[in-house]
Amino acid sequence: MNSLPTSIALPVESNTQSEVIRGVRASIPVMLGFIPFALVLGAQASQKGFGLLAVPLMTGLNFGGGSEFAAVRLWTSPPHVLLIVAMSFLVNCRHILMGAALAPYLRHLPSRRALPALFFMCDESWAMALADARQHCADRISVPYYLGVSAGLYSTWVLCTTLGAALGPTIGDVEQYGFDMAFTAVFLVLLRGMWQGARASLPWLASLIVAALTYLLVPGAWYVAAGACTGLLVAIVRGELS
Amino acid sequence: MIETQTLLIIMLMATTTYLTRVLGYLALRQRALSPRMRAVMENVPGCVLISVIAPAFVSGRPANLLALGITLLAASRLPVLPTVMIGIASAGLLRHLLG
Repeated sequence: MNSLPTSIALPVESNTQSEVIRGVRASIPVMLGFIPFALVLGAQASQKGFGLLAVPLMTGLNFGGGSEFAAVRLWTSPPHVLLIVAMSFLVNCRHILMGAALAPYLRHLPSRRALPALFFMCDESWAMALADARQHCADRISVPYYLGVSAGLYSTWVLCTTLGAALGPTIGDVEQYGFDMAFTAVFLVLLRGMWQGARASLPWLASLIVAALTYLLVPGAWYVAAGACTGLLVAIVRGELS
Repeated sequence: MIETQTLLIIMLMATTTYLTRVLGYLALRQRALSPRMRAVMENVPGCVLISVIAPAFVSGRPANLLALGITLLAASRLPVLPTVMIGIASAGLLRHLLG
């Protein structure tokens, strides 16, 4: 049994370096899930005519896997600029909600530091930083931990997409080896960390059902936005009723 | 060299994506949320994450659904790394066995 009082169990920014290292460590299992997808994305992009410079430029400046897969899939010659940009927005609009949920945990940071840090916000880094703060009952995220996670994931993504572009078509169908399940596995563990009982998870259930139905019935990437918003609506309605 | 049009699209994509990352923060940065609103926002992470992986729950392949069940069970009691391993192994094996 750990007898440390919670007030000092929370590492704040006094030991930045160890927090960064803790973040990098925590990102390692998640990297495992990133690597096969990054290789496939790079290979697909090179087949669509992306050069060895264009791939890291896209994955390094955009850093959003879903939107990059969508862009490569939609890439024609010549590419349809508006369609690709609109699809990026649609795939990534969940970030707006994520940033809003993170905002109260970033109050201690001046905007000039928060805005660059938000460049690295992806599903995993965001969820891990929030889960970490909640675990410590903190009202702020540990920024060095978040940046450590981000450093691991960002460098993996950019390096492996470039590698994928270089290896090109020698990469086969990774799905047959089951690597795509890594993503789902990471997300499920993150969800377990947020689990507060079946009753409290009613909004999740609503999200799951609506996202799945939207995925089956509506073409395009609407399912994430539809599921997330429905879950939130359920949470609001439940809040009004209680 | 990179074609101008490719460069243009990459820049526009990157700007769009970055905007989605900061908009929510900029909107709520200085606003004090009511306790009720805070309670609602607490649900955002779970709702977003489960929506992203929702397609896995409606896969038409029995091998995928079985593997998802095994991964779900693993995720309910194990840390990330073993769960990821079990997920990959079960999906790879079951797809190989069941097609």
